[in-house]
Order: sequence, then structure tokens, then C-alpha cells
Amino acid sequence: MNKDSLFRFLLFTAALLVLLFTAGIIYALVSRSTETFQEYGVWGFVGNAEWDPRSATEEYGAFSFILGTLYTSFFALLLCMPFSLAVALFNGEYYKGKKISSAVRSIVDLLAGIPSIVYGLWGFYTLRPLVIALGVNAQGFGIFLSSVVLAIMIIPYASSLSSEFLSMVPNNLKEGAYSLGATQIEVVQHISLPSAGSGIVASYILALGRALGETMAVTMLIGNTNRIPRGLSDTGNTMASVIANQFGEADGLKLSSLIAIGLLLFIITAIINLIAKLIMKKLSHV
Amino acid sequence: MRQLLLFTILSTLLISCGNASSGSGESGTAMTISGAGATFPYPYYNIVFRDYMRLHGNATVNYGAIGSGGGIRSLRDRSVDFGASDAFLNQKEIGSMGAEVIHVATCMGGVVMAYTLNEVDSLRLTGPLIADIYLGKIKKWNDPRLVAENSTVKLPNLEITPVYRSDGSGTTFNFSEYLTVVSPEWKSIMGKGKALKWEAGIAAKGNPGVAGIVQQTEGAIGYIGSEYALTLKLPTAKLKNRAGFYVDATLASISAAANVKLPDDMRATITDSGDPAAYPISLFTWLLVYRDQHYDDRTLSDARELVNLLRYVISPEGQKVAAQINYAPLSEQALDKTRQLIGEINWNGEILAPYPPPGNHIAVAVSDSVHVTASPNNGQQ
Amino acid sequence: MNHSSSIVQRKRKDKTIRHLVGFFSLLAMIPLFFILWDVISKGYKNFNLRLFTEVTPSSMDALLAISNGDPIPGGILNGITGTILIVGLAILFSVPLGLFIGIYLADNQGKRFAGLVSYLTDLLQGMPSIVIGIIAYAWVVKPLGSYSALAGSVALTIMMLPMIVRSTEETLKMLPLSYKEAGLALGSSYTNVVFRILIPSGFGGIFTGILLAISRVMGETAPLMLTALGASVVHWKMTEPASAIPLLIWDFYNDPNLVDLIWSSSLLLLIVIFLLNWIAKIVARKWKV
Repeated sequence: MNKDSLFRFLLFTAALLVLLFTAGIIYALVSRSTETFQEYGVWGFVGNAEWDPRSATEEYGAFSFILGTLYTSFFALLLCMPFSLAVALFNGEYYKGKKISSAVRSIVDLLAGIPSIVYGLWGFYTLRPLVIALGVNAQGFGIFLSSVVLAIMIIPYASSLSSEFLSMVPNNLKEGAYSLGATQIEVVQHISLPSAGSGIVASYILALGRALGETMAVTMLIGNTNRIPRGLSDTGNTMASVIANQFGEADGLKLSSLIAIGLLLFIITAIINLIAKLIMKKLSHV
Repeated sequence: MRQLLLFTILSTLLISCGNASSGSGESGTAMTISGAGATFPYPYYNIVFRDYMRLHGNATVNYGAIGSGGGIRSLRDRSVDFGASDAFLNQKEIGSMGAEVIHVATCMGGVVMAYTLNEVDSLRLTGPLIADIYLGKIKKWNDPRLVAENSTVKLPNLEITPVYRSDGSGTTFNFSEYLTVVSPEWKSIMGKGKALKWEAGIAAKGNPGVAGIVQQTEGAIGYIGSEYALTLKLPTAKLKNRAGFYVDATLASISAAANVKLPDDMRATITDSGDPAAYPISLFTWLLVYRDQHYDDRTLSDARELVNLLRYVISPEGQKVAAQINYAPLSEQALDKTRQLIGEINWNGEILAPYPPPGNHIAVAVSDSVHVTASPNNGQQ
Repeated sequence: MNHSSSIVQRKRKDKTIRHLVGFFSLLAMIPLFFILWDVISKGYKNFNLRLFTEVTPSSMDALLAISNGDPIPGGILNGITGTILIVGLAILFSVPLGLFIGIYLADNQGKRFAGLVSYLTDLLQGMPSIVIGIIAYAWVVKPLGSYSALAGSVALTIMMLPMIVRSTEETLKMLPLSYKEAGLALGSSYTNVVFRILIPSGFGGIFTGILLAISRVMGETAPLMLTALGASVVHWKMTEPASAIPLLIWDFYNDPNLVDLIWSSSLLLLIVIFLLNWIAKIVARKWKV
């Protein structure tokens, strides 16, 4: 039994490491952003949409980027939903177990394997002229283009987990409904989706998390203007992309502000994950 | 499973032991020099460091183009041997470095105004006009002030789309610095810096971003590093220099901009240079090293190798490369002052590359195992 | 109540939805083909054996080649070996750690500490790669005094960990409780039950999670810029700067003479990642729970 207690101890230590890692990350971020929060106050920084790096009028605020992040991520989530849901249903319900499902699953999962820089290059060279031709805006870059690419990037995250959970719905539940005369869509609507509900929400949260943190592809496509986007056709910046853009040259107060933005992103991700957990808890008690 | 884990742990330890001994080659068998910084001179450094490695089989030079600020930070953190920047350190930055830093100029370049206008095959601009375009005060190509400057071409009735860099960059620094010199209004509203708060125009990331937008947008104009624009053969505007001549960015005109009295520490911008052949937005780019190389666990060999690298870059072979890829080699005066600066680099007081008295031929020392003696020539041929 | 029309309606709705599901699934697959087409058609020209055997060309070599109409010389061997080194180290760190954490979470469901760890793991998942790069710079590059492959692998480890933890945890949770109970009832130690029964049974899901985590980090650029810096030679030293394929792609993108190489490098990266995914699928099928 000594082996067991040692093993359990190692397991516990490993889990503890996650705690330590996260605490370490928070500490590293906080300690490097105190300069900014001392200068502007927490809410002063969060609510300020101004970003002025000129030495005479230096002023930094995170609000434009918070909005940029929320716009792109939620719009990407919205865009991906019909597709990922369709694929999830395709694989987890309609063609479950069939060869074509395996093919579709593989192809969609491959989307997750494409590196973000390739997405950025493809978006830059191929999608951007399309966006210009569609008349969305004059230069192609912007919220729309980056959200579209983000949506494509997160489809597999949402679909593969959702389809797993859908396929795990017990057959006897479904068969019961069929024997009562339900059509397949009715079974899906009233049995499968509710049963797999919490898992499906979890997969969308995973997808949203991926979207929130995406750096490279968004940086290359969002237009990089440091102000609140006035709409889908406008350019903007997300928290991740402003850090990626300006980190190379930043120093002093600007560097501290960028790290403060990193900290804020961490906090926003934490809040969204918390909300997701609450939703799932509620759904599983239904 | 357990055995597998044990095996991997053991092999990791073995690998790391093997690595630890060849960290920063004290015995001189394998030497690694790392640097980080500006993206503007990256293609040049890429070639010149490669050539250096070819000549010195046991040396490895790594360079990461992470941006001037990143280079300065890395040097301050002592995580690299040298930094690279297109903007010299200001007083505050110098103070933050903890020790004196030497600016070793390596080559020159320019910032060009690339544009896309059908049927306009040559364009003339002045500093104040550029400032007003980027301030949003000149909105159309057929604005009377632009037309007055360009009597030989027909400028269309088309909106100007100015393009600027979204990422902080030394190119932006030099571009804006030039505009602060030629336009008082720019100076008070925008100032100079690696990143600014732009009034008008579109943001783009990096040289490829700006070039990409300019090439695809009729009526666009953007500022790009000369090497990049010239390699891609983008149409660029002639700028009116202080002497009144309209000049293109060429090797000759960029070099001519350095025909001014340069400070001894080589911390100078040469925009709006007075030389009649000068290209107005020219710049130096520097490698930054600590004057006293005896810090952390740096050895004499480390310092010597670094100095050898620096001297190779400013040697005729190194400078020739610059010319071949659309950068401009350093002028004689700049070279001379840079040699003097390199002559100040020392390890624990010992000068590594003494600046020879006038009349001596300067050669690049290729030997890597010369022992230090008290001889004034220090082993040079 | 007119039952027959109601049934007709319901059947029509069923059929429509079925078609929609098929249609949208098809649409979801199209971007992949577009991207593949783009990368292949632009990348095949420079895709040759040299890609694997030579290090990156300098700007000069490329300039001369272009002006002569020759294909650009050189390859990305330094990027390939760098990726192997950095990702290899990351695998060494993250797989045992992620496995252990996943086992712990699967076994301690419902407990507060485990819930907290699970939550924090999700947080790590959502961290932008550039922030992870900043952290790894502070934790490894600064103390070590040098950019290094090790720093890069630490950054990638942080990125891989949540995925491995999640897939291990979820896979183990899906195993019937009877597996564990039977093993324990037969007198086996907990350790043996885990390593001899649970993990082999769940091997498919766990291995898939690991392979997906690897393919995810193989394409990361931002964290490596701040940790590994880049290198133009082939080496296997952990404590020195190293290159990686995505880093090289970024370098090529910013160099007007080398920009054509971005496609062949991306093609190589894609091929490796797709191979990994394919292997993951085969393994998962073979070891299906």
C-alpha cells in the first residue's frame, strides 16, 4: 500500500501544481501591471477607451480592446453555431457510426490542426480580397474578417465534443420516443439535445475560450486600430492582438498597460468559465 | 508504464547534463552569440551573420527580429549579447540599462513613401505635405497644394488613403521624427515615437501589411522601409530635401544624408539632412552592447567573439552586403566614429579592439585563441 | 384534429432538418479544402527534398535566385529540428503531468479542491498564447540569462496541459465504474488499477487528447518569439535559442526575398499535423473503449 499512498500523493501534487502555476501566472501579471493601475485606478483603466502612445500625451485604457475581444469572439461563436451544431448532429445522431460520419469528423477535426499563422496567411491573401469584393469595407481588415476566420477555427472545438455527447445519449431513451411515433428531429429536439445539453454547452465554452485567446490570426486580420469598433465592418483590436502588436516596442507605462490587459483577459476568461460552470450545473439538475 | 516514465526522466537528465557543459562555450569549442531587436535591418543581419558564421566555423550567431523595444529589454535583462534598434536610446532608457551602452552603427536605410496611382508614374512630395496628409488635412490627390508640387503629372480626383504601421516600430519612429522636424504642427499634435495615435488612415502590421494595402488600394500611400520597397520595386515618391532637390531613396542619397557632423556616441538622427544629395528620411540602425563586457558570467572569450562580430559587420566585406540588398553602407565618418566606439568596449578594463592611430591599416582579427599580452597591437596583423 | 396533415408536416420538418444538417456540414468542410488548395498550389513549387535537408537561406541567396529565375535555395531544417526539440521537451513535461492531473480529477469528482483545479485548468486553456510567452520569458529566459528551447517548451507545456488533462479526465470518467471496482475488489493496488486497467482501457481517448495537444502547439508562433528567439543552425541544446517552423514562417513573411517560402513551409507543417491527426484516429479506433 505504500506504492498507493505515494502514487496518490504524486497525483495530488500534480493537481496542486496547477494551482501553483495559476497563482504564479497571476502574480507575474499583477506585479508587472501595478504601475498602470496605480496611475489610472482599476476602473479608470478598464473603462477608458483612449490609447495614446505619444510621449507628450501618454494615456492608456483597455476598453476599446475589451469590446474588440467581445465583439470578435461572440460574433465568431454565433457564426460557428449553425455549422458546428450541424456537424455534431451529423456525427452524433443522423449518421452515427457510419463511414461517412467518420470521414466528416476527420475533415472537420483537421480544421483544428491548421496552425493559426496559416489561418492568418490564408485570411490575408485569400479571404481579404473576397471581403473587399463583398463590399463589407474598403480594406478588408476588420471585425468581420477576423470573426469569420475565428469562427472557422473554432468549429471543430465545438463540434467534436458536442457530437461525442450526442452519441452518448442512451439508446433506450431514444427508442422509447421512436416507439411512441416521434420523428428523428423530434427525438433530437426533445431527447438528445436536452440529455447532452450540459456537455454541448461545455463544448461551446471551450470554443469561446479558444476564440478569446487567439492571437496570431486575429492580429494579422483585424486592422489594428486602437479604438472602439463602430460596427462589424470597422477595424479594431482585441486584447490579445494589441499585446502581440505593441509588445515588441513597449516599455515603461505602456508595457505595464499591455500586461494589465493580459491580466484583464485572464479575468474575463475566468468569469466566462464561471458562468459556463453555473449554466452546466443548472442544466444537469433539470 | 512506470518503467517508461523512469526512462524518460533519466534520459532528460542525461540530455540536460550534456547540454550544461556546452552552454556558453568557455573553452572556445562552440560559441553562441545571441541578439534580438529591430525588424528593419533583419534581412541584412541575416546575411552578414551567416557570412560571419561561414568564416568562423565554430561560431553561431542567432538573431531574433522581435522589435527594437524587445531588443532593448532583452539587453537590459542580459538575456542576449546584443540588442538592435533603429531608434537610439533616449536618456530614460539609458538610465534604465544599468550600465553604459554603446551604439554600434551597422548600416543605413531610408523610409520611402510608396503609393499606388494609375497613370501617375512619378510623384513629388515635401515633408509638410506628408505631415498634412497624415494629419488628415489634405484629403484628395488633386488638392491644390499637391498639384502645385506636381505640375508634370495629372493627379486624379481621388481620396488619399494614408497607411501607417499598427505595430510599434523604428520605422515609425524615424518617419515621425522627420515630420516633427519639418512640420511644427505635426510636432505639437503627433510628436515622434515608435507608436502614435494616428488621426487619418488605415493601420497595417509590418512592412508586408503596409505594402499589401498600398499595392491593392488605388489612391493609397504608405511609409515603408526602403529595403523592402526597393526589393519589391514599389512606386515611390521623390521627396524634397532641405537643400531643395527632389530625391529618390538610393544608396547614394541615403549615404549622403550622413554627411553631417555626427556626434561621437553616434546617437543621431539624420532626417532632413542638409546635404544637397541627401534623402530626407534616412536613418542609422545600431547594434547595442554594453561597454563593459564583464558582467554576469561573461568571459573574455565571449566579449572577444562579440567584438569580432561587430568588426566584421562594419568591415568592407560586411558593408558590401548592405549595398547589394538595398541598404546603404556607412559613410566614412560614420565608420570611423563607430570604430572608435568599438574601441571603447572592454572586458574588465581591457580594451578588446583598440582604435588604431591614423595610418594603420585596420584588419578584422579572425584568430580566436589569441592570448592577451601587454603588446599595444594586441595580436593584429 | 387532423392527424394525417400533422404527420405530413412533422415528416416534412424532419426531412428539411436532415437536409439542412447535411448542407451545413458540407459548408463546414469547405474552408478546409480552400485552405489546403491555397497552401498546396502556392507551396508545391518550393516543396522539395532540400526543404528537409538544408537550413534557411539568407536573404541574399534568395535575392540572387529570384533574379536568376531559380527556385529559392535552402530549406527549413533548422526549423524542423527546433520544432522537434522544443515540442519534444514540451511533451516530456506535459504528458506525465497532464495524465496525473487528469487521473486525480477523474477520481475526485465533486470535491472542492478538484473542482477548483478543474476550473483553473479551463482558465489556462483560454490564455492567449502571447501572454503565456510573456510568462515563460519571466520564468525561464530572464533567470537563465538567455533565450532557449527550454523556455519555448515551458510555454508550450502550459498550452498543452489543459488539453491533456481534460481528455484524460473525460475519458476516465466515461469508463464504467465497474472496471475500477472489479480491479480493486480482486485485491489489486490502486496504482495497478490505474496503470494496468484504466489507462489502457481509455488509451484511445487519452492518446487522442495528447496528439491533438501536440498538433495545437506545433503551429504556435507568438509564445516562441518571446522564448526561443530563433536560430539559423541545427542544434540540440536546450539552453540555447532555437528555431521552429512557425517562427520561420513569420520570418519569411516579413522578408521580401523569402516570402515565397511561407507556403512550402506551411505545407510541411500541415502535412505533419495532419499525419499526427490521422495516427490519432487510427489509435483511437484500435483502442476503442
